[in-house]
Amino acid sequence: MMRFSDLLSMSVNNLRRRKMRTFLTVLGVLIGTASIVVMVSLGIGFNELTMEQYASYGSLTEVTVYSNQSSGGDGKNEPKRMTDDVIAQFGKLNHVKAASPLLQADTLMSQGAYQANVTIIGVTPEYMDNISLKQGHLPDKGKKELQMVVGNMVARQFSNPKSRSQDYYDDPTKIPEIDFMNRPIFVIFDTDAYYQTQNGGSGDGKTPVKPPKKYLLTTAGLVAGGVEDYNNYSYNVYVDLDVLKSQLKQIFKKKPIPNQPTNKKGKPYGYFIYDQAVVEVDDMANVTEVQKAITDMGYQANSNMEWLEQSQKQAKMVQALLGGIGTVSLFVAAIGIANTMMMSIYERTKEIGILKVLGFDMNHIRDMFLLESGFIGFLGGVTGITFSYGISFLINRFLAGHFMPDMPGDLSRIPLWLSIAAVGFSVFVGMAAGFFPSLRAMKLSPLAAIRNE
Amino acid sequence: MVENKTPMIQVKNLYKVYKVGDTKVYALDGVDFTIYKGEFCAIVGPSGSGKSTLLNMLAGLEKPSKGEIVIAGNHIEKLSENQLVTFRRKHVGFIFQSYNLIKTLNALENVALPLSFRGVPKKIRNEKAKQYIKLVGLEKQMNHMANEMSGGQQQRVGIARALAVDPQIIFADEPTGNLDSKTTKEVLGLMQRIVKEQNQTLVMVTHDNYIAKFADRQFHIVDGKIFKIEEQHHEETKGDMENVQS
Ligand SMILES: Nc1ncnc2c1ncn2[C@@H]1O[C@H](COP(=O)(O)OP(=O)(O)O)[C@@H](O)[C@H]1O
Ligand SMILES: [Mg+2]
Repeated sequence: MMRFSDLLSMSVNNLRRRKMRTFLTVLGVLIGTASIVVMVSLGIGFNELTMEQYASYGSLTEVTVYSNQSSGGDGKNEPKRMTDDVIAQFGKLNHVKAASPLLQADTLMSQGAYQANVTIIGVTPEYMDNISLKQGHLPDKGKKELQMVVGNMVARQFSNPKSRSQDYYDDPTKIPEIDFMNRPIFVIFDTDAYYQTQNGGSGDGKTPVKPPKKYLLTTAGLVAGGVEDYNNYSYNVYVDLDVLKSQLKQIFKKKPIPNQPTNKKGKPYGYFIYDQAVVEVDDMANVTEVQKAITDMGYQANSNMEWLEQSQKQAKMVQALLGGIGTVSLFVAAIGIANTMMMSIYERTKEIGILKVLGFDMNHIRDMFLLESGFIGFLGGVTGITFSYGISFLINRFLAGHFMPDMPGDLSRIPLWLSIAAVGFSVFVGMAAGFFPSLRAMKLSPLAAIRNE
Repeated sequence: MVENKTPMIQVKNLYKVYKVGDTKVYALDGVDFTIYKGEFCAIVGPSGSGKSTLLNMLAGLEKPSKGEIVIAGNHIEKLSENQLVTFRRKHVGFIFQSYNLIKTLNALENVALPLSFRGVPKKIRNEKAKQYIKLVGLEKQMNHMANEMSGGQQQRVGIARALAVDPQIIFADEPTGNLDSKTTKEVLGLMQRIVKEQNQTLVMVTHDNYIAKFADRQFHIVDGKIFKIEEQHHEETKGDMENVQS
């Protein structure tokens, strides 16, 4: 039996013989492959950009749960309140990694001449682990004092009550420089009392209100990002849930804690309820399932997945459309290969006849042609991929910023699997295009060689 | 002739009919003969008498309309096209009138080519090809391409290519048809000598009675029928040539 290496070198020699034609055919495949790859890379880039954008608004594996206000309205149904027990139930659902309540306390903070209304949110240490910091560290575990993790845009909320200027949002340079890390912040939890004292008397005008106590809080860490870069944690201050609970109990003592339920006599219950909780799901694919389970429990659940799924559908359509356009050009290239192979057969009719007379196996004739067309596909595929990387680079460098300035990140992305698949596909297309020509060559009559020219 | 001859090629009642429009052309019209191992036979006849048709059929390049061809025990007429290719690869060497070298290969590569079909590794086949190139006296032209050689040189390469695979049978269709008379003599002498040395069977087609006299036996064919088989006794190749000419 003939050696494969000999067959291969025959094929390659045949291609080398007709350099110009081989070059042009390869060029066709190159363009075809490159258009598919670039188109698909745009599709992938668009898809991933959308994902990244959603991810930047908040984790894609997070489900936010709200207690269902509407069902609590009518007297019949007990309002579905989220207690620690309910949170624990969330934690036990399938695919849920962790569940954390968001215990919110509206406070008034001040440093120097500036003050701001900032919401302090008590969360579990697991939740806190998701926050990336640019400075400092997460609160020490087991400490009794409140240690704050301050959002990167919290400084924007501060203003000087004596000066009227409130246009910090337009000009980032005017944002007050609050030194969280090195100087403590004065925090008032009982804001009602504060405003009542500010108005110079009690709410009902009978009992004079004591000015509320100011607490000195220190900052453990700052959320990553500049004052302009929004993320999920930008506008809030995070503290440890358990520490916040005990602090609130201490601060308000017998008085009802704001936002917490009271019985008919206006006395607080012994436990906390939460307006909001966050459930961390193990995988994006399971978010919808978890979301449904929580909704079935009677709570309102939202996630970025809902929006993402919609966008992904759109992105898929865009991808299919772009891929389709690319496929057409590879199809044209396939016709080019078939044409080249047919031409080659006409030219080599006599030679093929000679080979047959000399005992060259018919199957090897077919294989030789398939190898040739496959090799054209391979060359076109490899050069096409190389070319695509170039185009992709140019798109990302020069075009993307032009058309999508609000979307940072590469618009055209060529993952490794796409490169490999593209080369494989172009080899396949080459062989498919060469298939019928190769059968034809195989069936050529050896008599052509005998007839004198 | 040698006694106890073993038949190499047996042809029985062979017909080949071409239909041209409404008329039938009997290219071969009932041919019977036997060629023995080690023989050098010539098929002689005027142009259009059916010589090439007969040879092509013996080489399995064309199917007979009727009749049997048995070569080395194989019924050629019953083989499929691919089996015929295999048969040729194993048993047959073919020398063409128009040489038919592969134009993109040099002399050595042309000779080595049929060996590669048999899976002979490159090193061995190049050695063997070199040996046959030397045998036909083309050491100096070994690396020449087809178009860099004269007709006689190309035909020598063609002969080397046919012989390098050690075939039992060699078919040659007008091998000297495109050569001048001096080169013709050289090429024929070469074929005669090598085939005798290796006890191979050679079947040659020619329209030239003079060339046919190089063979041991001549089959004279006219209008698709063999009308005379002539034996020629060669004492010494060279001397014989002169006998014929006188
Ligand atoms: N393919 C063909 N179709 C029709 N007629 C053919 C074909 N091949 C050969 N012939 C005819 O058969 C006869 C023998 O041809 P051929 O064997 O080539 O003669 P030779 O080789 O002796 O010159 C001729 O009359 C020729 O015209
Ligand atoms: Mg002829």
